[in-house]
Amino acid sequence: MYPAKFDYYRANSVDEAVALLQEHERAKLIAGGHSLLPSMKLRLAQPAALVDLNFIADLRGICRGDDGETTIGAMTTYAAVTDDAAIATTFGALHDAASNIGDIQVRNRGTIGGNLAHNDPGGDLPAVALALDATLHVAGRNGKRRVGAAEFLVGLFEVALAPDEVVTSVSFPAPVVGSGSAYAKFENPASGYAICGIAAYVEVSDGAIRAARVAVNGALDHAQRLAAVEAALSGVGCGDEAAIKAAASKAADGIDEWDFMSDIHADADYRAHLMRVLTAKAVRNACDRATG
Amino acid sequence: MSIRAVGSSRSRYGARDKVLGRTRYPGDIDMAGQAWMKVRFAGQPHARIRTLDVSKARAHPGVIAVLTAEDVPCNEYGLIYFDQPVLCGEVVRCEGDQVALVIAESEQAASEGRDLIEVDYEPLPIISSAEAAMRPDAFLLHPERGDSNILAHYKTRYGDAPIEEIFDDCDVIVEGVYRTGMQEHAYLQPEAGLGYIDESTGQIVVNVAGQWMHEDRIQIAHALGMPEAQIRVEYSAIGGAFGGREDMSIQIILALAAWKVGRPVKIIWSRHESIIGHHKRHAYTIRTKWGASWSGRLIAAWAECIQDAGAYAYTSSKVLGNSHLTVTGPYEWEAVHVDSYSVYTNNVPGGAFRGFGGPQGHFAAETQMNKLAERLEMDPVKLRLKNVLRDGSQLPTRATMPPGVSMGPVIEAAARAAKWTRQGNDWQRPATISDAATRGDHATATLRALPGHRRRGVGFAAAFKNVGFSFAAPEENWATIELHGGGEIERVVVKAVGADVGQGAHSVFRQMAAEAVGVPLERVELQAAHTDLVGSSGSASASRMTFMAGNALIGAARLASRRWEDEIRPATATFGYRPRVTTELNYETGESDPNISYGYVAEAVELEVDLDTGQIELLHVLCADDVGRAINPRLVEGQIEGGVVQAAGYALMENLVTEEGRIKTPYFSNYLIPTIYDIPRRTESLILEYPDPFGPFGARGMAEMPFIPLAPAIVAALHDATGIWFDQIPLTPDRLLEAFKRSSVRAFERKA
Repeated sequence: MYPAKFDYYRANSVDEAVALLQEHERAKLIAGGHSLLPSMKLRLAQPAALVDLNFIADLRGICRGDDGETTIGAMTTYAAVTDDAAIATTFGALHDAASNIGDIQVRNRGTIGGNLAHNDPGGDLPAVALALDATLHVAGRNGKRRVGAAEFLVGLFEVALAPDEVVTSVSFPAPVVGSGSAYAKFENPASGYAICGIAAYVEVSDGAIRAARVAVNGALDHAQRLAAVEAALSGVGCGDEAAIKAAASKAADGIDEWDFMSDIHADADYRAHLMRVLTAKAVRNACDRATG
Repeated sequence: MSIRAVGSSRSRYGARDKVLGRTRYPGDIDMAGQAWMKVRFAGQPHARIRTLDVSKARAHPGVIAVLTAEDVPCNEYGLIYFDQPVLCGEVVRCEGDQVALVIAESEQAASEGRDLIEVDYEPLPIISSAEAAMRPDAFLLHPERGDSNILAHYKTRYGDAPIEEIFDDCDVIVEGVYRTGMQEHAYLQPEAGLGYIDESTGQIVVNVAGQWMHEDRIQIAHALGMPEAQIRVEYSAIGGAFGGREDMSIQIILALAAWKVGRPVKIIWSRHESIIGHHKRHAYTIRTKWGASWSGRLIAAWAECIQDAGAYAYTSSKVLGNSHLTVTGPYEWEAVHVDSYSVYTNNVPGGAFRGFGGPQGHFAAETQMNKLAERLEMDPVKLRLKNVLRDGSQLPTRATMPPGVSMGPVIEAAARAAKWTRQGNDWQRPATISDAATRGDHATATLRALPGHRRRGVGFAAAFKNVGFSFAAPEENWATIELHGGGEIERVVVKAVGADVGQGAHSVFRQMAAEAVGVPLERVELQAAHTDLVGSSGSASASRMTFMAGNALIGAARLASRRWEDEIRPATATFGYRPRVTTELNYETGESDPNISYGYVAEAVELEVDLDTGQIELLHVLCADDVGRAINPRLVEGQIEGGVVQAAGYALMENLVTEEGRIKTPYFSNYLIPTIYDIPRRTESLILEYPDPFGPFGARGMAEMPFIPLAPAIVAALHDATGIWFDQIPLTPDRLLEAFKRSSVRAFERKA
């Protein structure tokens, strides 16, 4: 369980990281390393070079723009996100997810950008990014660009990122007044990865849901929005348990059976069931936060 | 002397060194000039070896030797039957069969050499279940052992009339088909050890972690064709065992390698190698039918127990005897008809694991008892007390229970501690044991607890566990005590080599010796490291070590004290304790005097189940154990808590998946064991002390008991919560949800 030989480079700026990626064949970025290092030890990944992002101070931190948009540096740890009081009150789903990833050691090292750029089907942030309509900021040889979460999260361990690009930050638009969000998860006890996780965002007025974004990760091969649920939630009363449940019961509708993850811990049927149950749970909690 | 060593919670012997990391386990020991060894496993469940080419491995730089079947003088071993080759030469029968050994200058060179071995296998039919193995036309896995794959078949025929006639007279019948899974021991320390030649004595020495050093020596000597005196087995420190080190894993191959290359040879197994390389708790299928009267009197029991022995016998027939005996529970019967089969398959072999057949037998028996209570609308405690074994009771083997039967008082004490209320002979189950508040959502504490999606339940189960080897297996335990000093005893040297596998055996040896001699504990020094010190202690298994070693120590202390009084200095005595001899099960009738002593245990469980996800949370486990006399109460509590946690894993999450003979879960990332997040919120130990008339200071063995009733108690609590009976463990969330969906009680629907 030792990795193959590799070269190690410490980048001191984003430009330097991009340059190093261009210089070296088969180079990979390392952030928290929780996904990359185990795959290297198993020889599933054998990069020739690692470019370490941990010493780029610009990539850490949380800032809020005048328009209320919150931007989180890609190298900001889950622990830092968890400890941010404004995120806890404004982006409930993000707080729910970040505060429950792995264990304390993992949360002290693991990063927001690494999580999204890896796009592990069992990761917790892809669904949150979709439900909160996040935008990723990316730097590369041709400068900087912005890409929406839905466009970025392409497939199983696949994202819209060129080999010489670096995710620099993630922005979350200010939630509208009367909105709330939550993340509900069923995890693998050994790894903490999501067997199913649901992120829900709802906008509520006069006690009823006017708009919703609901997304899943863990159950499927990559994170996706649940359009049928979102449509069914429109107009549903926040306290209308039966209607929330009816909408949540559509969580697995229209999803191709081949898109489901299935293993010895949970087969596709059980994951589909968890999608429905956790959707109801996440929506209820999002409604509570929107109205509370 | 006023200082009491027995009955006090003295610090565990050696605990400080373990905490400080000073204890040296076999894997920590290095010797000058040592070589490294790797095993080439079969990696497939059933095949004939066409060719085995080791030439590339032998030529690989750093490789010193490659050993195959031809190099083993007497290529067979096994605790019950010699049915297993040390190294397979013709046929491999399970994934973990050992085919060749590579000894090299470094661990890496040994690994590389191992991977250069070329084996051409001709696949043979894979028998992946006991049911398939029992078919008349099934491929014979051990033709030398008879014309069927059944390795043992026990019968009990007890009662005056054919069982079906007696069932006709019963008012109530309950039935079930119970399935229990395999379980991995998951000890902290994977197999590791050193083999070397002791130049001063010429002996081949093996330093490993095992459970029975004298038996290891017998097995090594047999395979090497040498006298036992030529072999020495050392246990330096043992990182857990639970039955998983009772059989051979690396013992024989280390001796073989050291002998062949004349150098110290070291091996360390990875977790993967450990999981495929040693036996598991047996999977069972038990079909059973019980009949009783409306008044709640047990009348007749029928059962068919099928045990998957895997590819080799290990201790399967002995485990089978134990489940055979316990599948009717700790109760009195008028008629019993049981058939039990142990069957060879191509699965990983089954063998000893804490409880040794008791957990499987009791899972069926105690769930039957709880189903019967429901049918009779009678409290499960009351029903048990009506039927429980007492002093003078006869077992279905027609033997009278050994004196000191405390099953009734233990059940009563457990029920009271778990807040059962009693009025006259009626008992009432409590709504809650724990008074625990609902914790809310496990995953994210900010989520509210949803009304209706969780249910609570309380369940009860009891068990009895033999102390000591059963069914005529020879019992003995030797100890030497030396009393040093002049006018008073200044120093006591105890030689007793029973394995301290982590349970604290060496602590209680010292405490019992101090008490027996009458000196403060600090004056007692223990020597326990190797086979040449003193005679066999037998295995650290069958809840026997405190009982047997205690009696040996008391005997040796008595003889030594007499010599001390005769002014002999040092006063030395050796004593071998041999208890009353038990008898084998009669193959036609099941008659037997199976055991010399038992321990008795009862447990109550409160749990919460999430109807949406199928997750179970154990809120409270109350475990009442009659230990006869707690030599060290804190160590007893440690055994209770550890046993409960291990049993919680067995009942809820430990799911050893095999497919066509291959283990699909050979890592802790996919074979899940309980962590601190999964254990019961509270485990309450209730230590009861009804002395065993033959136990040292009244002590009974206890380390297996806490494990046994937990699974059926959980199933009972789950029934209390949902109205559904579960006849299969582990109770994984997806299994629960499937049952919720199937059941007519609509547990799946949320109640407002």
